[in-house]
Amino acid sequence: MSSGDRKLNRVWRILATGFVFVLFGVGALVISVTMFPALRLSTRNADTARRRIQRGMQMVFRGFMETMRVLGICTYRVEGAERLREPGRLIVANHPTLVDVVLLVSQMPEVDCIVKRGLWRNPFLRWPVSWAGYLQNAAGEELVDQCSATLRRGHSLLVFPEGTRSVPGEPLRMQRGAAHIALAADAQILPVRITCDPPTLFKGNPWYRVPARPFHLLMVVGEPVAARTFLRENEAPARTARRLTQWMLTQLDAGGVPQPEDPETSESSWLAPGQQSLVR
Amino acid sequence: MSESFKSREEIFERLKVVLVDLFELKAEKIVPEAHLYDDLDIDSIDAVDLFLTLKEITGRKIQPQAFKDVRTVNDVIDAIQTLTSQPSS
Repeated sequence: MSSGDRKLNRVWRILATGFVFVLFGVGALVISVTMFPALRLSTRNADTARRRIQRGMQMVFRGFMETMRVLGICTYRVEGAERLREPGRLIVANHPTLVDVVLLVSQMPEVDCIVKRGLWRNPFLRWPVSWAGYLQNAAGEELVDQCSATLRRGHSLLVFPEGTRSVPGEPLRMQRGAAHIALAADAQILPVRITCDPPTLFKGNPWYRVPARPFHLLMVVGEPVAARTFLRENEAPARTARRLTQWMLTQLDAGGVPQPEDPETSESSWLAPGQQSLVR
Repeated sequence: MSESFKSREEIFERLKVVLVDLFELKAEKIVPEAHLYDDLDIDSIDAVDLFLTLKEITGRKIQPQAFKDVRTVNDVIDAIQTLTSQPSS
């Protein structure tokens, strides 16, 4: 690919990314006044409505991932997806990019999520979010209790132990909330490791700083592990939670995290195998 | 199973043992000025474990309100002193 082609491709991806952001915002609005209320009204049973809405979310997010792929913004691959479809599991994942949530939810017919409080104040989203059975990001113990309760009801729950997106190149900083939830609910923990190469839409990365090449999102779903295997006799919960969090860190930390690439100078990945330089 | 304390020093030493035991902290890091969250990585859920242990040690009922403004190790010692100086209920 010539330098001109690369520039053109990048300009295209900047436009496509902008479009996709607008699509997401407008789409959320439209769905909040059409699909979500329709699904809620389709049944009297709140729990049935919740399940239908969660499935609806999966379909919408799947469509969104495909849109990004077709527009050439990214590629993605999931390994072990079938493990996500067993109900009642605590899914813990690292959080390198804004897009990882979309990919994760697109793979799961039903999953509860913890959503930031601000969304409950949004006039369009506050009802859909509660009909979907999502959880508010409350403080400490209260959140652990709510999450543990939903797991015990047989729902799957998605948690990002870091609590926020990671910064590429920096080690993961995990909070212990996920471990406390796992222990309180006696849960089956499913670790999911996500890599975004090159890093895109990470913390502090604005949408228009599109990387040098389309990013590839890889999601590897591990084997489930029972939280109770971490219990030790007479051990204070605080210590167990610390040990469990340490384990989660080893599962979720990819180690060699790709560094953000400078689109102006980064050339290597455009080279075809055997090609020495971009000048043909 | 309640213990009685005579001085702040005693309380501090006992508290140090508790913190090392509960949270796997290094004893050197525990100084009276240490900030529970920023320096010792003791979060709100850990605090619950801490209260339960203090309750066992002092034999007094811990009112979470009493610990609402506790931020440093010194604050914890103050709170324990206040608790143990009151007649037990």
